[in-house]
Amino acid sequence: MTGHAKALRTSRRSILKGLGAAAIGISLTGTKRSAWAAEEPKLNFYNWDTYIGETTLEDFTEASGIDVNMSLFATNDELFAKLRAGNPGYDVIVPGSEFVERMIQADLLEPLDHAKIPNIKNISPEFMTDAPFDPGRKYSLPYTWLVIGVGYRKSKVKEVPNSWKWLFNSDAYAGRIAVMSDASELFRNCFKYLGQSLNDASPELLKQAEEMLTKQKPNIKAFHEDNGQDLLLSGEVDVVMEYNGDIAQIMKEDDDIDFVVPQEGAMRQQDTLAIPKGAPHPENALKFINFIFEPETGKGITETILYPSPNAAAVALMPEAYRDNKVIFPPADVMAKCEYPNYLGPEFSRLLDEAMTRLRAS
Amino acid sequence: MAQKRAPLEYNRMWQIRAWLFAVFFFLYAPLVALIAFSFNDSKRTTVWRGFTLRYYEKLFGNESLLTAFANSLTIAFVATLISLVIGALAAVLLWRYRFMGRTVVEGAFTLPLVVPEICMGVAMLLFFTRVLPWPNNLIWPFNLGSIIIAHVSFCFPFVALVVGARLASFNKEQEEAARDLGANDWQAFRDVLLPHIHPALIAGGLLAFTLSLDDFVITFFTSGPDTVTFPVKVYSMLRFSVTPEVNAASTMLILLTIVLMVVMMAMQSRAQKKTKG
Amino acid sequence: MATRTQERRLAFLATALPPIVWVVVFFLAPLAIVWAYSFGQNVSLTEVDISGTFANYARALEPLYLGIFAKSIFVAGITTLLCLIVGFPVALAIVFASERWRPWMLMLIMLPFWTNLLIRTYALIAVLRTEGYANFTLEWLWNQGSWLMTLVGLQPLGEFTPLQMLYNNFAVVVGLVYVHLPFMVLPLYAALDRLDKSLIEASLDLGAGQLRTLYSIVVPLALPGIISGIIITFVPALGAYLTPDLLGGPDSQMIANVIERQFKRANDWPFGAALSFLLMYATFGAIAMRAYFSRGKPADGHGI
Repeated sequence: MTGHAKALRTSRRSILKGLGAAAIGISLTGTKRSAWAAEEPKLNFYNWDTYIGETTLEDFTEASGIDVNMSLFATNDELFAKLRAGNPGYDVIVPGSEFVERMIQADLLEPLDHAKIPNIKNISPEFMTDAPFDPGRKYSLPYTWLVIGVGYRKSKVKEVPNSWKWLFNSDAYAGRIAVMSDASELFRNCFKYLGQSLNDASPELLKQAEEMLTKQKPNIKAFHEDNGQDLLLSGEVDVVMEYNGDIAQIMKEDDDIDFVVPQEGAMRQQDTLAIPKGAPHPENALKFINFIFEPETGKGITETILYPSPNAAAVALMPEAYRDNKVIFPPADVMAKCEYPNYLGPEFSRLLDEAMTRLRAS
Repeated sequence: MAQKRAPLEYNRMWQIRAWLFAVFFFLYAPLVALIAFSFNDSKRTTVWRGFTLRYYEKLFGNESLLTAFANSLTIAFVATLISLVIGALAAVLLWRYRFMGRTVVEGAFTLPLVVPEICMGVAMLLFFTRVLPWPNNLIWPFNLGSIIIAHVSFCFPFVALVVGARLASFNKEQEEAARDLGANDWQAFRDVLLPHIHPALIAGGLLAFTLSLDDFVITFFTSGPDTVTFPVKVYSMLRFSVTPEVNAASTMLILLTIVLMVVMMAMQSRAQKKTKG
Repeated sequence: MATRTQERRLAFLATALPPIVWVVVFFLAPLAIVWAYSFGQNVSLTEVDISGTFANYARALEPLYLGIFAKSIFVAGITTLLCLIVGFPVALAIVFASERWRPWMLMLIMLPFWTNLLIRTYALIAVLRTEGYANFTLEWLWNQGSWLMTLVGLQPLGEFTPLQMLYNNFAVVVGLVYVHLPFMVLPLYAALDRLDKSLIEASLDLGAGQLRTLYSIVVPLALPGIISGIIITFVPALGAYLTPDLLGGPDSQMIANVIERQFKRANDWPFGAALSFLLMYATFGAIAMRAYFSRGKPADGHGI
């Protein structure tokens, strides 16, 4: 037998072996999904980093016997890009409200069975009714909420910068300003400054905003990607466009820092819990979501991340310092002017992105 | 009269020494800062607040970070090994043989260098979900398979390039002489070519290992719930800022690397002594 | 008993098949999907219809994007040049180091690069920022200088203004050089190592100075290594997006940042694909040209 043929024989055998293994693998996956089999006690949770309480996951495992495996993503875009081609095995995800709308339109989410989530009663009612991105909360439930505003260093500003003017249209703080680099967040808050709704999808308004920012660009030190609080803390900038929760976190380390929501109003968001289509353990997912809305769990989470919580029962358990914190819970009159961003369609998204590219290139 | 320095002893020239010193300083100053901040008593790594060891404690208790570590190292090792084989073969192929479609093949091997990472990441994502679905429930380390494959695809051209440059200066006649003396192709390869490209393999292997260990974009798109790697984990911490825990992890990684390299070099010098002695 | 030609063929196949099969299945196939996308358009948020349209390429060739391409090529070019200048003496030093020192020096060069990119960048930020170490040291030196001046009786220097070394193009270039230096040093080392040192000695004996020797002997002989080093440095630098993102200022946008936004924020995969492929065609064209021009030349001086 020549060496050639021998090589072929062995390779054929190994191919068959490989096929066999693959077949077994596929059949096993098949049985896992079959309806009559109970779900294995596992849960794949796709979350932002440190966006959970210190012991929340262990507490859940203790209470239910389900093992939680938490993986991390850094931006909503990444979450969407990953799920777009098919769910690689996540059970619970934490998308931002704007992305919930996109995902519903793209048919990427499972509807939530509210009957299986009795702890919904712990959520403040306005979050259940006021959710233009997910009417009736069919697909998502609020995990935290946030609002964008101006973080600033008290000793370096002449007065409280409670208007977008100081970031977008003035050289009072030239070279000490940082704004967000996300096109939607940046431009749509400009719309608020220009006196319009941030859901106003008109190209003329966008052009106006772009021109204003292009003029302002020499005064801007950096376009930050969600680390604006670090820039403020380390003294790189004195005024920064950031989320209230991020600023609240660094206020613990530096008394000289404060936060204000501009009087023109700003963009508010929610981070939500949702179940993507194709989740391997949907029942466990529902149990997990229900657990999150327990008052004690909510308290544990909020103590760690210090973001405003929509869980009324949990908020009631938090210390007064948290509930009265004007940064975490800005005053109602200015919150009334804040809006949730709707998904304005692919054409406007394209315009937004091009405007950003032009702005950065100018 | 001052002692004349031998002409090739570049390292005695003060200019070279000063240059080396400056370069190493430039490379290491930020790292020293990094290691120093792993002892920082604050949640941030940008402002110093005091000395503490608690982040090292946290690190060793942080299972997910350690798992991500382990995953990264495994992927890097396996991907480097495969890249070395495929890269070396690719370089030898282009150097030794003339065949039809050679330029096309050469182009295909160079292409991975040129593709933007995110484009390749998306390509791999689409491939592993639509064309060749990789089962999600494989046990470790097979569940890292799709990541390893993706890494090899972008690492091996670097190996091929480095080995190719080395081969370009190789005298083909030596190999032909070996063959005339009766060696078959495999022996010629093993005893003549391999020792010659040895330094290039090491350089290429180091390069591939580095690239794999540090890769974020492509890994992000090919990883799933059970296959988080270290860069992916670190990058996802960006939103709430990098804590000293990550610095501690990096310090440990550096220490581990040093240990590995020392071991490798000790083994190599022992092997060299054997062949010389 | 296998004949000589049969054995030769087997050897050829053994060498050719693994890399070619790998490249086709695990690289060209996935890439082909994205290539097809570049001719498509979004029909919904997740589906792309491959309609054979050139609209994406037309858009990618608009002056806005061409300008960004040009800028990225410029920045990557400067980075490569700096890496070459900085890295060449280093590679030289490693090659001529004694057997004992050489592996240690190689390791010392590689070690920073086994640290995660993000963390290294944060460390660089800590050095370069307004209240960072660089400015700290400079301030200290300034104050010492000021004190010295008063000693001598001159006016002290004014207030120290910290240098803005971060959030601008300077920081991006520094960051890119920092990241890409070993990609230049390693191929240079691999090529210089093969150098026949007797040629250098001969040149010096014949009276040529160090620099002349370098220029006329070392560089031509090490040229393949230099060129690989340039390619391995330039191309990834061109495609870098984390470094400009984190270290750059408002106008430090590079083409990879734009491409990344298409695949993520803008959710416009066809356009992102078109931009990526345009980038690839251009880079690939440059590499092909160099391969074409270097064909037929002897690769080493041994042809003499």
